[in-house]
Amino acid sequence: MTVYLTLGAAAAFVIFVLLLKAGDQESEVSAVGESNYGNRFGPVNGLQPAELAIRIFSQKDREFILRTRSSRLQRLYREERRKVALYWVRRTSRDVSQIMRNHRLRSRQSSNLNVAVEMKLVFLYVQLRFLCGILLVLIQLLGPHVPVNLAARAGELYQRIGRALSEVGAVNRAAPPGSIAAS
Amino acid sequence: MSNSIQRVRVQSAYDDLQRRTLSGIPCDFARLIYLASTRDYNSGLYHHEGLAARYGVDEARQALQNTHREIFCRLVSLPLEGLVSELETYVRMSHEAPVGFIHAWEELEPYRVAVPMEVDSTMVQLFLSNIRLALEILRFRQEKDPACQPVASLQPSLGR
Repeated sequence: MTVYLTLGAAAAFVIFVLLLKAGDQESEVSAVGESNYGNRFGPVNGLQPAELAIRIFSQKDREFILRTRSSRLQRLYREERRKVALYWVRRTSRDVSQIMRNHRLRSRQSSNLNVAVEMKLVFLYVQLRFLCGILLVLIQLLGPHVPVNLAARAGELYQRIGRALSEVGAVNRAAPPGSIAAS
Repeated sequence: MSNSIQRVRVQSAYDDLQRRTLSGIPCDFARLIYLASTRDYNSGLYHHEGLAARYGVDEARQALQNTHREIFCRLVSLPLEGLVSELETYVRMSHEAPVGFIHAWEELEPYRVAVPMEVDSTMVQLFLSNIRLALEILRFRQEKDPACQPVASLQPSLGR
């Protein structure tokens, strides 16, 4: 029993350290990513966020590298993909936080908040942030190919948040002029 | 000029570019390098004499920029195996010895300037990472079969 408790505590500690480390490196992503081009929910010049996730976490590429039977190539591949995968997760997480912060600021001035849509947004946001945390830990511990389905799911959630935000935008645009000032 | 007229002219310039120039280049990777070479390093603006004379400077610029992004996106979407084939074709076209080519590209990383502006930064990371891997795969193949020499190509050498 004590052994299991110790192992559980050790695992929790490792996860905690990895998450802290991931948080530290988020500023690194900002520095690289900021010059590039704001936030996006739709196709990134032809690639949907979920498609991009599938490309990064591709099993097909992994099988191609395994066929070479070169340990040097396999090591390099794991390292390269791990870096890109972590970059993608941190960037997705950072982007969605930024977008939700901006949305919160705008919502404060809105007179006709749609509670259902707002709740949906918060739910999707929490889900996505949670998934990003899990992805970071899994990628660091097990490599970039284990969580392919989770990554695709994160990409989908990202797009769904985009769609929910457009709904909010449409509602706000439909509000009668002066309704914000009158409230 | 109204927006719709400008859009039509950009589309015509785009079609012209595809038909007359890019169709003569045998792979997307070479097309990417070619399009990047029409961009000024200092201003980031594209220029193509023939297209500008026919369709206007801004329209030609827009067509080149759009095409550059489109081809970049196609290359990012390719599986790694496909990108290795693209790079292999490009090495053949360059008429350089593969060993020297791979060494120079790993040292100088000239492919970095082939990335278009204003594309998603994750796509850029994936592209650069895939090129590094593709070069390593070509080096591995070269080491396994040193007799493998580039096939002479009738295409012009774009790297020079």
